[in-house]
Amino acid sequence: MRGLKSSARGLLPFVVLVLAWTAVTRAGLVAEIFLPRPEEVLRTGWDMARDGSLWTNIVASLGRVALGLVVSVPLAVGAGVAAGLSRRLAAVLEPVAGFFNSLSGIAWLPLAVTWFGLGWASVTFIMVNTVFFLVFFNTLVGVRTVPRVFEHAVRTLGGSRRHLIFQVLVPGAMPSIVAGIRMSIGFGWRALIAAEMIATSTGLGFLIFNAQNFHQTDTILVGIITIGLIWLATDRLLLQPLERWTVERWGMVSTA
Amino acid sequence: MTARETAVTWLSLLGGFLLVWSVAAATLPVPAYMLPPPMAVLDAFTDLVVKGILPAYIAESLRRMVLAALIAFAIGVPVGIGLGVSRRLAEFTYPLLNFFQSVSGIAWLPLMLVWFGFGERTILVAVNYTVVFPVALNTLLGVRSVPRIYVNGLRTLGAPRWRIARDVILPGALPSIATGMRLGLAYGWRALIAAEMLVGAHGLGFMIFSAQNFHLTARIVLGMLVIGALWLVLDYFVFRPLEQATIERWGLIQR
Repeated sequence: MRGLKSSARGLLPFVVLVLAWTAVTRAGLVAEIFLPRPEEVLRTGWDMARDGSLWTNIVASLGRVALGLVVSVPLAVGAGVAAGLSRRLAAVLEPVAGFFNSLSGIAWLPLAVTWFGLGWASVTFIMVNTVFFLVFFNTLVGVRTVPRVFEHAVRTLGGSRRHLIFQVLVPGAMPSIVAGIRMSIGFGWRALIAAEMIATSTGLGFLIFNAQNFHQTDTILVGIITIGLIWLATDRLLLQPLERWTVERWGMVSTA
Repeated sequence: MTARETAVTWLSLLGGFLLVWSVAAATLPVPAYMLPPPMAVLDAFTDLVVKGILPAYIAESLRRMVLAALIAFAIGVPVGIGLGVSRRLAEFTYPLLNFFQSVSGIAWLPLMLVWFGFGERTILVAVNYTVVFPVALNTLLGVRSVPRIYVNGLRTLGAPRWRIARDVILPGALPSIATGMRLGLAYGWRALIAAEMLVGAHGLGFMIFSAQNFHLTARIVLGMLVIGALWLVLDYFVFRPLEQATIERWGLIQR
């Protein structure tokens, strides 16, 4: 009951926004080609959902996000833990990763297109790139924040290096790793939309950029709203609970 | 690590990287446009500097970024504070701000192209949009995180509203504002590069994107190096010190 009430309160601003939008378009303050009426956008969205074109593009975009995560998260966590264990390796990897992190995302696109051509490979490359370096850094920071006491304790009790990594370092770094994944999806999702506009012929980015060629503002708005809703849903229903759960499970929450 | 050790590490890293790159470019059986040797990038650098293109494009991208930062700061902070002062207003607008922040400026670009055409205005609006929402959202959160007791304390002592805003709420929200600025500008810088690619009117994004059409890969690599280096310099010498300073001065560090 409480949840219902609070979600109703969360929806209220959007209701007001849509009402204002309706009022502006009804009053004829803006030409329809620039800002179509809400019901027009709803109808277009409904049509696109029925003929399947909306779903194809959503699946294409989400598939790329998933592929990027599956490829780069294990690599990034591995590299981050390795760098966290060895000072010398960290001295080499940190500046390099720092540079690539500040370059991540869309700046790679021209080179990716040169290497892989237009298509999913280039877009996936952008995604992998964005996710890898952010998760790498967060893993490294996470591993470093694990108190040395735990490390010594495991060693004293005769734990092997494998024990140390899988029972101490990775769980200890988990909250930081998950925070990194959440942030990397935020950056990656943005980079993906931009990359799809340029380099592919499927996905939500392509959908809205292509619609712009034909001045189909209703289709553009359907795409924009879908992009926002997908991100909000992923963040609310997946990433935030995951982050909270890892912090509770492995984090530094005191019981006091 | 001492400063000298750090310098040695960096230099040997750079040397090793250049060596591997040269060897790979010389021996790998790929056409030169796929992997230009480091010398080609250096040539592109001197060429573009002599012609004055590179300095002009760097200046153009930086100008847009600075403009976006100023406008976003001038709009985002007052809006965030205004909304944050009232609990009701904050609760009402938070979902909206959050939604608009999560739809990146680049996603609005097609609509803005219809509205403003291919040109400077579209780029500026898209980048400003991208920066302003994280700033406003974080300012609002910062204002809300100021303990009520300070506000009540000042009010009991008879301070007017503007004094409370100036002496309690603004300083209290500053660390959060700094965080919002840094995040917003990080998003904004990427959005700027993407917008310059798509709209195509000068700037570093335009430079690397147009080079791709002519397989001028050395120019692409050069552009990427400049983009990465510029961001690193900004982050290290401007944003981080600023954030550190605000957090140390007004933040949660007690000693």
